[in-house]
Amino acid sequence: MALPQTEMRPMGKPILRKEDPRLIRGKGRYVDDILLPNMLHLCILRSPYAHARIRRIDTSKAEAAPGVKLVLTGEDLAKMNLAWMPTLAGDVQMVLATDKVLFQYQEVAAVVAETRAQAEDAIQLIEVDYEPLPVVVDPFKALEPEAPILREDKEKKSNHIWHWEAGDREETEAIFREAPIVVKQDVRFQRVHPSPLEPCGCVADYNTATGKLVFYVTSQAPHVHRTAIALTTGFPEHMIQVISPDVGGGFGNKVPVYPGYVVAIVASLKLGVPVKWIETRTENIASTHFARDYYMTAEIAATEDGKMLALRVKTIADHGAFDATANPTKYPAGLYSIVTGSYDFKAAFVEVDGIHTNKPPGGVAYRCSFRVTEASYLIERVVDIVARRLNMDPVELRLRNFIRKEQFPYRSPTGWVYDSGDYEKTLKLALERIGYEELRKEQAEKRARGELMGIGISTFTEIVGAGPSHSFDILGIKMFDSAEIRVHPMGKVIARLGVRHQGQGHETTFAQIIAEELGLSIDDVVVEEGDTDTAPYGLGTYASRSTPTAGAAAALCARRIRDKARKIAAHLLEVNEDDVVWDGAAFSVKGLPGRSVTMKDVAFAAYTNVPDGIEPGLEATYYYNPPNLTFPYGAYIAVVDIDKGTGAVKVRRFLAVDDCGNVINPMIVEGQVHGGLTEGFAIAFMQDIPYDADGNCLAPNWMDYLVPTSLDTPRWETDRTVTPSPHHPIGAKGVGESPNVGSPAAFVNAVLDALAPFGVEHIDMPIYPWKVWKILREHGITE
Amino acid sequence: MRTYEGEFTIEQPREKVWDFITDANKVGPCVPDLIELNVENANRFSSRVKVGVGPIRGKFDLAVELSEVEPGSVMAMTVKGGGMGSGVDMKAEATLSDVEGGTLLKWRADTSISGPIASLGGRLIDNEARKIIEKVFANLKTALDASA
Repeated sequence: MALPQTEMRPMGKPILRKEDPRLIRGKGRYVDDILLPNMLHLCILRSPYAHARIRRIDTSKAEAAPGVKLVLTGEDLAKMNLAWMPTLAGDVQMVLATDKVLFQYQEVAAVVAETRAQAEDAIQLIEVDYEPLPVVVDPFKALEPEAPILREDKEKKSNHIWHWEAGDREETEAIFREAPIVVKQDVRFQRVHPSPLEPCGCVADYNTATGKLVFYVTSQAPHVHRTAIALTTGFPEHMIQVISPDVGGGFGNKVPVYPGYVVAIVASLKLGVPVKWIETRTENIASTHFARDYYMTAEIAATEDGKMLALRVKTIADHGAFDATANPTKYPAGLYSIVTGSYDFKAAFVEVDGIHTNKPPGGVAYRCSFRVTEASYLIERVVDIVARRLNMDPVELRLRNFIRKEQFPYRSPTGWVYDSGDYEKTLKLALERIGYEELRKEQAEKRARGELMGIGISTFTEIVGAGPSHSFDILGIKMFDSAEIRVHPMGKVIARLGVRHQGQGHETTFAQIIAEELGLSIDDVVVEEGDTDTAPYGLGTYASRSTPTAGAAAALCARRIRDKARKIAAHLLEVNEDDVVWDGAAFSVKGLPGRSVTMKDVAFAAYTNVPDGIEPGLEATYYYNPPNLTFPYGAYIAVVDIDKGTGAVKVRRFLAVDDCGNVINPMIVEGQVHGGLTEGFAIAFMQDIPYDADGNCLAPNWMDYLVPTSLDTPRWETDRTVTPSPHHPIGAKGVGESPNVGSPAAFVNAVLDALAPFGVEHIDMPIYPWKVWKILREHGITE
Repeated sequence: MRTYEGEFTIEQPREKVWDFITDANKVGPCVPDLIELNVENANRFSSRVKVGVGPIRGKFDLAVELSEVEPGSVMAMTVKGGGMGSGVDMKAEATLSDVEGGTLLKWRADTSISGPIASLGGRLIDNEARKIIEKVFANLKTALDASA
């Protein structure tokens, strides 16, 4: 039971989340909570080798093991033409390996048994004879002529997947030739993983009597999953129902289709009973899609007085064994060309090369719009280095180069049209709130005493809300989104959307949008997502796209309902439709505010007293194709102190001033910012997935891949400015990912600001204490 | 791939040491934490051993093959096997030379470990693998000394 909050005109109010009474009392229903009669359990045998030929697989002992109902290998799937499946990036990926494995923990065989324990035990009995092959871990070595070719199935005999570029090469080169100052820096964004609390999993339930497949899956994009399943298996799409129940965190990890899903479906089709597959933590980190893993080199051409003229970026992208990055077809490096950021460069040129290595596939948008975090981190890091070389305050350099507010809509040198912004206002608010001048004074005093204190700034611009259909698609499906609203006779509303929340608070925010548009209380509106049999088709929740797309669809769908309601109101008020005015709460007669009817009156009439010529009922559907993306931005400031003895960095203060346009629910925005900052903090200081030379994953668990607890996490301060998006129906922009996109650079810039006296310009993340300690020792600061 | 190496002197003539280290019946029992040993012929044996790295405890099945590279002085040993979803591949070589008072045995082992044991053992694996391999050669020395 949700808490009653009979708030009218709810837009912009910090209304408590309708989903919380369910979720915080443990009453959420996640995929592993689904228990069906006769349900069996699936476990997957994975490769210990990063690269090996499979000589032979003997499943006889596993088949004879207690409780085992089915053992599947790649050969079994090949007979059904299912040994390979398409990826979201237009490549193919092995479901279960046939002739060779390409990464450690790759799926090799599967066992279905009566209990999970039986299935786990039985996979140990499968004998696989591997012939180890030379392993390629480093993407630069993958390009060397003597490197083994990993993808023998592909026509192109190279580990190079694609080359992509944006901007104007010649114009950029011309500026660089003349530039008085050129700053160049290599920056690595390490391989990380979204690592949601709930790993991936599904229950495939094929009903032999009805011929229908119900597929429960922890999914950020249930409609896309339905279509992908239909495309992969040939199963008729109208006989597939995908249900994404409560999702225990996604962060991009739950957009792709994983081999375990296909195997569970095949097993249920073969056995005619439900089959459940739930990953272990290690399987989640070591085999499902990673994020980042970019090797970036940026060069900035500038004048001596601090005007940045041009940007040149070269990037090697490690995509692992299969090209499975979740990006729109046209953009293999996502929206990475947003790398010019908040600055008015005359020209820019960006190149990215995708490379195969013996690592798991991926490149998901981990709490960021496609590859935007990499871009934002790079530009914000290198701008700080430019400031250092010019001996300028990083604030001053930023203010001198910002896109000015009168330049919006602004066309960037790589072709994006920024919708709105006032970067100077936002940065100045942040400087004032943090007390920048005093902090610099304090820092100078501390430096004189030999203490290490740093202040780091990041003034990022995001690009979210994919997207206009002419440019954006997933698997060819255009990236619109949708809402369907039904108003019942008693004036109560059910709204269904094509997106699928995983903690973003859609049940509350979308209810606020709809209640606001219809003059109802949010208690009158229930929001439902995640069931493809009931919700209209949509592309899902990731890349901060829900409010920009489905939020817009919800507002416009409600307005469509209001248009019809006006006709019915005119009938009830016995006036011409032109004489009816809507004041946000009721319809009244122009000039006679006392004569009015509410939306509830109209709803009842829509089923009981409909005028001739009007269809009964009160419902509408809206598919929204945004005219452009939205460009949220922010100014973040971190203040750190470094322990000279250990190199440990303490984040003393962190202020995030965000501008995400109009805010629907400030409490939810603040919560999203807190969550994203915590993830950005983890990436900056704790997280990395390294591989040894044999391709062994060295962080496939939460002992080695660290997730911050409340004890590790600094206290967050937040504020905001509001620059509405001019093209969004309610002026909103999306915020879920800004803190993850914008914060890593602020943390790292702060650490390097503290180390400035030693001339250190860059350290790659994660900034472990030992990295700082080594530098301090080299400079004789510590023993 | 990790490489481990070492050397020791045995107070015995080279021929005797050679005969010992090329005989599966003699080398087999030198594998530490042995649960089961099955000598197939003079050059081949298989064994089941207890393994523990970090939080992982379990059993490995290993197939070992001995071969002569340079009769009387250089022999090779390949070890292949695994368990618990993990694999181990090792190529070791032992070189004998005459020194005052006996025979010098120099050994070198190139080892690849794969699977969860390499991942989960994380940074512990290097020391653990070194310990096991050193133990093999320490056992060899003990057995050789005892046979003197």
